[in-house]
Amino acid sequence: MSKILIILLLLAFSPLSSAQQAGKGLTKLPTVTQAADFVLTDLDGKQHRLSDYRGQVVIINFWATWCPPCRAEMPSMQRAWEQLEKEGILMLGIDVGEDEDTIFQFTANYPVEFPLLMDSDSKVIDQWPVLGLPTTFVVDPKGNIVYRAIGGREWDDPELLALVRALKQ
Amino acid sequence: MTEYRTGYRMRNMLKYCLALIWLSMSLISGWVSAEVINGEEAQTGLRTWEWREAGVSVQLVQRLPDQTRAFFQGRGFSTAESDSIARACVFQTIFRNDGKHPLVYDLDDWRITYQGKHRSLLTRERWDEKWQAEEANQTARIAFRWSLLPTRQGFESGDYNWGMTSFGLPPGESFDLSLNLTINGNVIARSIPGIVCAADQPGN
Repeated sequence: MSKILIILLLLAFSPLSSAQQAGKGLTKLPTVTQAADFVLTDLDGKQHRLSDYRGQVVIINFWATWCPPCRAEMPSMQRAWEQLEKEGILMLGIDVGEDEDTIFQFTANYPVEFPLLMDSDSKVIDQWPVLGLPTTFVVDPKGNIVYRAIGGREWDDPELLALVRALKQ
Repeated sequence: MTEYRTGYRMRNMLKYCLALIWLSMSLISGWVSAEVINGEEAQTGLRTWEWREAGVSVQLVQRLPDQTRAFFQGRGFSTAESDSIARACVFQTIFRNDGKHPLVYDLDDWRITYQGKHRSLLTRERWDEKWQAEEANQTARIAFRWSLLPTRQGFESGDYNWGMTSFGLPPGESFDLSLNLTINGNVIARSIPGIVCAADQPGN
């Protein structure tokens, strides 16, 4: 009995490596910032102008295929997209600095259905408050950046999605 | 006799409880106080150094020079340019804030102690001066910029990021790293001793 208790205590407080885990939650930005508009093309050749999506909540994810936490969060972004698409919430992945072929190859291993846009010359990311990849923003229907997440997340986390959905109201 | 046995059992029980409390407290204090954990990745054999304190952690994972060469050649750098990055003691760096408070860091405030002398990290800006002077390929420069850990960044609770850090030392060399962070407005300075740059393959 005493041995079991000691083992349980050791397990409860053992310093498990947390380096590989996703981050948590969304940070509400302290000031209201209008999202910088952009026009970017997706892998199907369709142009997306952010301001055309005014009236919708938009999740904007800056990423790259070589970035480990970007890859790690992609499956959960797809799962979130499967819920959010039918609710009228948009998700845009903006790849930074890579070409269509590279992204296309990536999607063979990480199939996603939400639009993947190309910011090949990094002009769009330079207009946004991004320092590292991945960084994700949630833009409200008025076009304001409300939330930010630095590093990957489990995007289908119900608590996280509740924050996103609440912006629709 | 029965009273004696009951008393004996009570004393043993008390000792046992005290031992458990002591064990719990020491483990809890170990959890929240600063610690540096050295390790080795089982699959790759790459060595790691991780500093943790109050829910904040910085982990450095060795990158083999060949790994770095291949990565940057694949992103548009020439062989010579890729080699110069690969031989600059590059680590994958995983920075997490699972603590309760926001933090900010500035790599320009961090110092390397190597052979008794202090030096700075090779940040994005320092590399960019080199790429500008050498008129390096623009696509490669974009990939490089976003591959490196940002020089300055703020993390709210729950944020984390990955990025490469380069220390500008030859492969196989050892150094101490002094790191500074501001957590909830308080500056803390800590050290990770005995970090080793991954060795290069013979012939490189």
